[in-house]
Amino acid sequence: MSRLEAPGATDDTQALFRRWQRNGDASAREALVQQYMPLARGLARRYGRSSEPFEDLLQVASLGLLKALDRYDGDRGHPFPSFAVPTILGEMRRYFRDSGWAVHVPRGAQERALKVREAQERLANRNGRAPTVNQLAEYLELDIEAVIDALQAARAYDTLSLDAPRPSAEGEVVAYGESIGCEDERYELVELDATLASVLGDIPPRERLILHMRFVEDLTQTEIAERLGISQMQVSRLLRRSLEQLRTLTHTS
Amino acid sequence: MAETPNVHLSLSNNAENVLLVRQALSGVAAVLALDAIETNDVNTAVTEACNNVVMHAYDGEDGPLEVDVYALPVALTVVVRDRGSGIHPHESEHEHEQEHAHTGMGIPVIQALARRVEFAEPPDGGTEVRMEFDAPKQPSLACTSSATESPRTREAPDGDGRASAAPAHGWLPGTVELRLTPNAIARAVLPRVLSALAARAYFSIDRIADVQVVAAMLAAKADESIVGDRLDVGVTIAPRNLELRVGPPLGAETFALSLADRRADSD
Repeated sequence: MSRLEAPGATDDTQALFRRWQRNGDASAREALVQQYMPLARGLARRYGRSSEPFEDLLQVASLGLLKALDRYDGDRGHPFPSFAVPTILGEMRRYFRDSGWAVHVPRGAQERALKVREAQERLANRNGRAPTVNQLAEYLELDIEAVIDALQAARAYDTLSLDAPRPSAEGEVVAYGESIGCEDERYELVELDATLASVLGDIPPRERLILHMRFVEDLTQTEIAERLGISQMQVSRLLRRSLEQLRTLTHTS
Repeated sequence: MAETPNVHLSLSNNAENVLLVRQALSGVAAVLALDAIETNDVNTAVTEACNNVVMHAYDGEDGPLEVDVYALPVALTVVVRDRGSGIHPHESEHEHEQEHAHTGMGIPVIQALARRVEFAEPPDGGTEVRMEFDAPKQPSLACTSSATESPRTREAPDGDGRASAAPAHGWLPGTVELRLTPNAIARAVLPRVLSALAARAYFSIDRIADVQVVAAMLAAKADESIVGDRLDVGVTIAPRNLELRVGPPLGAETFALSLADRRADSD
């Protein structure tokens, strides 16, 4: 069962809908928002992937959720999610259209290509060798796909990059892991989701708990740190370690 | 649809491979001049279908994930196929509920974003999700290619059993098989997919630039192929190493190619 699936439309849920839609009971609406917020958040993440600031998109998705809560007709016998999904997606789509996102994306890709190029040079100078995509993604706090897209854009806009001088193979190793405190592990989230199901058993309990808090409960690193009484840096390190372990496990499985 | 797909991907149901599918689709979208929103719709829907195969088709086991892309004048169609238990693990009176229980938001998302969706269970097993998206604004790819090149082979020869839904023979865990036609598609798709594979194999950025050059060369090679303009590429991935098997169709000469990065850190 997917972590994002809201509980089915039970009698309780139908009662909440009645209380909100017929009586205007705000507390019932609040309960429904609580119940279906993961749906909106999941859609924002899936549809928005590596674009817009996530918070903006989440707001748009929440707005879509509120509309869906107002308009849903439980008497028709459809579960709420099957009505809410197209409503929320429609809201995000409209937002993308209205905000000129379609036009901004190619420009954003070019800007990102420049950033990747700069980071590439900086890392190459620092380490004496060209970085990998993973290192760049980590350094720029982008997901791997965004870096690959940027490389693609760079290739399209700047064929000269192929002639750029290459750094020598010599150079010392720098611990990237310690230099970046709060990278965003949402990258490869969907992939991790799948991985979690199959290999979680191989992860130590504390790290499993942190993974669960981060990706299933969607807590921030700081929130997790508060709950566990450890520092955010520690959370970051543990997350990184378990993510790497997960990746290794996927590689070998 | 007996037509040869413009892109055929034969992959393992490894979660990392969904990125390859997305890269291939972005390549197709670029050729078709889809805008960012249309591209995002296609990518999101197909990602859901692929994730469904990754998570549910094989009960945690390895199995094939196949993706076919057809860029026709009437529609862009993407077919995602598995050979496992698929989205209907239990045929029962509760089929509908089961479907939702096993796929969460995936199916509603696909239904909301695609113009048309069909779920099928081919006779030889597995599940097929066929998603149709709005017609590309550009003329069909078949036209683009036939303007300058020999018409591509419409009828798949006997040995080439894709259209007849033959079992996924030759499927090996950990390998990636691509079949691309026509050339415009190969030029857009191959560099993206190979870059993503090189990134996965911990290649450094400068070596990935080399991989892109090689990919462009291979795509160009499809031009020279006498038999249609189809390019078949098989890739085996190891750390800092990609083994490529490249061949034009119909059993003509296949050559092997090894791309390696001996300098990169394996982070």
